[in-house]
Amino acid sequence: MQDKITRLFKAIADPTRRDIFHALVIATSALSITQISNQFEMTRQGITKHIKTLEEAGLVYIKSEGRERFCNANPKELQEVNKWLKFYEQFWDDKLGSLGDYLNNKV
Amino acid sequence: MKDVIKKEVVFNHAIDQVWNAITKAEEISTWFIPADFKAEKGYKYLFTSPPNEKGCTTIGGEILEANPYLLIYTWIVGDTETETTVKWELESTSEGTKLTLEHSGISNYAGETAVAMFESFNGGWDNCINGLTSYLKEEVNAG
Repeated sequence: MQDKITRLFKAIADPTRRDIFHALVIATSALSITQISNQFEMTRQGITKHIKTLEEAGLVYIKSEGRERFCNANPKELQEVNKWLKFYEQFWDDKLGSLGDYLNNKV
Repeated sequence: MKDVIKKEVVFNHAIDQVWNAITKAEEISTWFIPADFKAEKGYKYLFTSPPNEKGCTTIGGEILEANPYLLIYTWIVGDTETETTVKWELESTSEGTKLTLEHSGISNYAGETAVAMFESFNGGWDNCINGLTSYLKEEVNAG
């Protein structure tokens, strides 16, 4: 499980991969490697490498049809980490608010 | 997407006042979470939620650094083994004291643990925070 999260963070650490992932999330249907290459003006090889990293992290599903491969986003994976970040964001905002109140009232 | 939470707040108070608030057990216990805490390197601290609240979990860890004005400790929730790090740094400014808080290593939360822990937080932490809020209100009213 630890590895899974590490892969997830590795996948989203790269801005190009985030852009590819975003493009897949907003696409209404699966995109082929060719379509993604055209959209990002990158070689198929480059795109394939990025897609593979996203797939390993569980962020993208790949389905082969004939000679073409189609990619679908799986944003569910990100929700887990997001939950944690959201929780702590709120937690620290609340706590630092309390600290401010505490300091103001302590005269 | 990131795995570090960073917060910056400026307090209109002297740096030592803020430093005491984040390092002295009785002060931490007032605004944060009731604490067994010593700002000494190597000390194993423990934050425990108010005893009258149910479903709260403890937070413990070890002080890695505690020199004015830098405080770093590990942050381990409940019985889990997931270790994250919390860093508090103070700096004097013309307006008072700037506090920079960094909570890093959120990515260490393994997927399954995150679900279980989040569920225990969900409700549990609300109780903790509500308990603390009412405690603080009572303190202020009483004072």
